[in-house]
Amino acid sequence: MNMNELLSASPLPSGLLAGWPAALELGYAVVQGRTVPVHRRHQGPLRVQKHFIDGHGQCQHIVVHPPGGMAGGDRLTLDIHLAEGSAVLLTSPGAAKWYDGFGRASSQQLRVEQLPGSLLEWLPQETILYAGSVVALDNRFQLQGDARLLAGEVMCLGRPASAERFDRGCWQQSGEVWRDDKLLWCEHSHVPGDSPLLASPVGMGGHSVLATLLWAGPDLPPELHQACLELPCAGRAAASQLPGVWLARFIGDSAEAGHHWLRACRDLIYPFSHGRAASQPRIWAS
Amino acid sequence: MTALLPLLQLLRLASPGLPIGGFSYSQGLESALELGLVHNAASARRWLADVLQGPVCQFDAAVLVQALRAVAAADAVELSRLNQRYLASRDSREQRQETVQMGYSLRQLLASLPESQAMCWPAGLAGEEICLPAAWAVAAQMLGIAEREAVTALLWSWLENQVMVLLKAMPMGQTAGQQLLSALLPVLTTAVERAISLPAAQHSNFAPGLMWAAMKHESQYSRLFRS
Repeated sequence: MNMNELLSASPLPSGLLAGWPAALELGYAVVQGRTVPVHRRHQGPLRVQKHFIDGHGQCQHIVVHPPGGMAGGDRLTLDIHLAEGSAVLLTSPGAAKWYDGFGRASSQQLRVEQLPGSLLEWLPQETILYAGSVVALDNRFQLQGDARLLAGEVMCLGRPASAERFDRGCWQQSGEVWRDDKLLWCEHSHVPGDSPLLASPVGMGGHSVLATLLWAGPDLPPELHQACLELPCAGRAAASQLPGVWLARFIGDSAEAGHHWLRACRDLIYPFSHGRAASQPRIWAS
Repeated sequence: MTALLPLLQLLRLASPGLPIGGFSYSQGLESALELGLVHNAASARRWLADVLQGPVCQFDAAVLVQALRAVAAADAVELSRLNQRYLASRDSREQRQETVQMGYSLRQLLASLPESQAMCWPAGLAGEEICLPAAWAVAAQMLGIAEREAVTALLWSWLENQVMVLLKAMPMGQTAGQQLLSALLPVLTTAVERAISLPAAQHSNFAPGLMWAAMKHESQYSRLFRS
């Protein structure tokens, strides 16, 4: 069933179809050698916690969605802007849960613009799609000049711990990474709950977690790429250096295993991407 | 010119004898064999059916349909956009090199054929790397092949090549290979029709298992194929 059919099957009155929109705009710039938030505007339930600037001048921000989960009809919009030379890490306090939409679609749109010299880590905690969620996720990273990006996500289809498979609903995702006017990398996923690719070895092979780590910047040195390939993990992982983008994927059965692999890759890459050893935001430990 | 000419051009475009190098790529299948994802006739049939109905139909063929329409409308900007998008959608270095090499070879071939004299190469693609679906769309226009037939030809040449990979690498016997084709031709016809009517919002190259296999092929020790 496609998204339109799901929507037209909705039994709810039109007033409820509007859902709960929320939007957040964040802007960062370098002030006296440190990156600080210079623009912050929110509408609806989407906020950031007080920022933290680490000893290297990188600004860490935790994006919070207080309702704790997205219901059918909800729409989230994030616009993030990094001025020249700024360094930012964005994460979240916990899993983003997308509940059964009972036929109503919900969406998240992320727009990131990075000016030359900026460096962003976009590393939210896992996204969980409950059975019946009808979700459109749309991420676009626009890099200018020599801006660099380290973006990771852990996508959980259903809740295997509760024996719930993602067998109803629809997961739609588009991702784009641009540098100046050139599209470096894109993904287009349209995966209804009855897709044969959820069980097929061509697709998820019956597994429920797909993690991705993407680096847009100078090519990874071959020995670093090799070290990432050799990382032990509780799943199937692989990576490839594409023109302008290094892409690594993990297929497994738990968000923890996905995060463990993703953060181990990040630890290896960090001296190359950031010129120092990686440290983990404290929120990841809780 | 006779009524048979478009059919002959179609057969020629879909032929494994078309010198664009398809035989040297397994598109992740050699790796799927090495990794045990494909190990016998039944698992090969399932693998090919799922790749065909999945990313090959919902992305490769769907992008080709858009490219054919862009070429027919002489919309060079749209063709260039589709070309860039397809190149950016490749999940592994070898998959990208494969489509770039085959696209390049098809462009070089077309330039040397008398059929190309009546048509200029679209301006937006002149200095660019070109993916196979974009080059295929231009080829279809030059050779007078209609949309449905051009999509069918791309999927057929993909399928025939995949079966040839199985004959060499699994290995599978000639007759078993033909039986596999018999089982998959109905899937192929469905995939063609679906690709032709697929809305852009439903384009999908989601195939993490195939991606995993294609990436693993880069470090596979013993290889017959370049992808």
